[in-house]
Amino acid sequence: MENLPAIEVLSLHKAFGENRAVQGVSFEVGQGEIFSLLGPNGAGKTTTISMLSCLLRPDDGDARIMGHSIRSDGNGVKSALGVVPQDIALYEDLTARENLSFWGKMYGLRGSALKKRVDEVLDIIGLRERANERVGKYSGGMKRRVNIGVALLHKPKVIYMDEPTVGIDPQSRRNILDSVVALKDQGMTVLYTTHYMEEAQELSDQIGIMDHGQMIANGTHDELVKLVGGQTRIDLTVNAEPQRILGAWQSVEGVEQASVEDEKISLLVADSNLVLPHLFEAATRQSMRITSVDIREPNLEAVFLHLTGRALRD
Amino acid sequence: MKAFDIALKDMTRSFRSFFAVVFMFGVPLMVTGMFYLMFGNIAQNGGFDLPRTAVVIANLDEGGPEFQVNPKNIPGGRAAKTMGDLVVNILQSDEMADLIEVRFAADAVSARAAVDSQQAQVALIIPPDFSEQFADIEKGKAVIEFYQDPTLTIGPAIMRSILERFMDGMSGVKIAVNVFLDDASTEDYAQTGILVQQYLDESLAQSDDVEAELLDVRTPVSAKQSQAEEKQNILLTIIGPIMGGMLVFYAFYTGTSVAQSILKEEEERTLPRLFTTPTSQATILTGKLLSVFLTVLVQVTVLLLAAHLMFGIQWGDLGAVALAAVGIILTASSFGVFVNSFLKDTKQGGVVFGGVLTVTGMMGMIKIFAMNSAIAKTMGDTVSLLVPQGWAIRGLMQAMQGEPFGAVLFTVLIALAWSAAFFIVGVLRFNRRYV
Repeated sequence: MENLPAIEVLSLHKAFGENRAVQGVSFEVGQGEIFSLLGPNGAGKTTTISMLSCLLRPDDGDARIMGHSIRSDGNGVKSALGVVPQDIALYEDLTARENLSFWGKMYGLRGSALKKRVDEVLDIIGLRERANERVGKYSGGMKRRVNIGVALLHKPKVIYMDEPTVGIDPQSRRNILDSVVALKDQGMTVLYTTHYMEEAQELSDQIGIMDHGQMIANGTHDELVKLVGGQTRIDLTVNAEPQRILGAWQSVEGVEQASVEDEKISLLVADSNLVLPHLFEAATRQSMRITSVDIREPNLEAVFLHLTGRALRD
Repeated sequence: MKAFDIALKDMTRSFRSFFAVVFMFGVPLMVTGMFYLMFGNIAQNGGFDLPRTAVVIANLDEGGPEFQVNPKNIPGGRAAKTMGDLVVNILQSDEMADLIEVRFAADAVSARAAVDSQQAQVALIIPPDFSEQFADIEKGKAVIEFYQDPTLTIGPAIMRSILERFMDGMSGVKIAVNVFLDDASTEDYAQTGILVQQYLDESLAQSDDVEAELLDVRTPVSAKQSQAEEKQNILLTIIGPIMGGMLVFYAFYTGTSVAQSILKEEEERTLPRLFTTPTSQATILTGKLLSVFLTVLVQVTVLLLAAHLMFGIQWGDLGAVALAAVGIILTASSFGVFVNSFLKDTKQGGVVFGGVLTVTGMMGMIKIFAMNSAIAKTMGDTVSLLVPQGWAIRGLMQAMQGEPFGAVLFTVLIALAWSAAFFIVGVLRFNRRYV
């Protein structure tokens, strides 16, 4: 059991009429890892999560959650995982404590064990003091925290979080990201979907990039970045004709590619720290001044652009 | 157990909604209270004064047999030479003065005209051959024309009740006369008068309260009641059915409203989340249905008790009322599930609440508002039984009127048949949708 992958997805397929929402998605998440599914809206992330939660039956393929098949052992799957849905799914006319108690019962908790766990979860989400207020009176961020708390009640081995930071303030977002890391520290496996590459980059042990229902890349952040060669892009503008300096900069050691577009010079370099001083020297020698510098480290945005030809937020 | 948890959660949410509580308990009691205040002068010692009914009488009776009625046996000690006089004298008695205001018309046309012009609520036209027909033991048919304003119910109903009571008594006399004359082989009209006198001796005039004797006021309490209590019972015969109707109408409203929580939870995304827990879909649906049933159960129980305590309504024998209540609860719950199973979302609920529930509810209640008019009552009985509310109301009314347990059971069984059909269709549709 200890060596089992927490999540093992085997060629999942799901179509809604003509729309092939998920097409042969496969990946594996080890126990205690955070795996982010990154992709634009409509990429198939939520459909994948829905199948893994047994909310949707796959047309083809299977997945095992802590060894339980989503096709043949729905109850086993549901007992092993906690789901934080994209939308806040709480009873707004009940208090936070009442919500947690009710959901705890749905996960089979009863009596003093339930009461104790509800108190623990209220501490985890930082709402013990306001536990007896109706959820409808909470801010968006507080609701999100209760939304997460519900999924933690039965101490699941695996937790799915479907875009939990959508539409909330920066402080609540920070709290949620910290809580995801805390869950990992407690040994939970987290499957996290997002369309914010910064979140995926910060949190994940592994990242799967989805587009049009397919997993187009899968690996650690460094592995994915290498797909675009690991080069840093530097965009510069000068107070003279760009073509005058282009040749000099092309000959600087470390510059691998140079081009001019719309009065802006773009360079692809291996290490911007080494190259930049030489660029300034070359410009000074030609009595030119650099008026702006924009350094772009290789990131998931670039990876997505490289793989699809589109920006992640298109 | 989880089904009960789901039901308990739903009930907590329902009873926490001010709007829902007002509609469940406040509105039915308030509407009934308005009727209570309208019809009862409860501010004054709990007494009850109905508005006097204006009656115009055209007594055209030309007489027939010579009556030998002792004036002491006629209200007011007045003379009565004809059957028509007898009717008039009774209606003019002091005891009737609180209920009716009598005027006279010279002929039938002017009597009817008085009603048409709303100067009177009822016209009584006693035909010229009334006494003669009464005295004709073999073929005679003594009929009083009862002409009323069709827009009114209570005043004419009281008049009708008085007359029916009187004529029923007279029919008894007539049978007695028939038997007597068969035995005596005589056609002496005077014998008829003697028998009429005997009837009056034994029933009407010997009573201290002719009004109470003539009014057929049903009461479930067998003990002898005071005059104030009897008057209060008149009020209750009006208020009881109205409260019963309100109870059924709003029980159906609650059933539909609570059953809508299935759709509401889908929209709030809590239903999909429930499906991600290790709780079977059958358990979730059972819990939702249980919440509908239990909420209506609480509502009906509270309303029955509250109406009894607030208005003194006697619902009848406990067993029969409990049976009728079960019919109401199951029919209202299953109807709610049935109706909601056809809705896409809660937005369509407005149409249901405004349309289906109101129309079917009003159809079911026709029986109550038409009960003071014979023709309307017959029509109302038929129309109301086309909808489940009608059967629910019928069971409760039967219990109130002290009808045999078997009759209530029969009605409730039919209501349960409606319930079963609604429940099966509703559950099948929801199952197809979610499971």
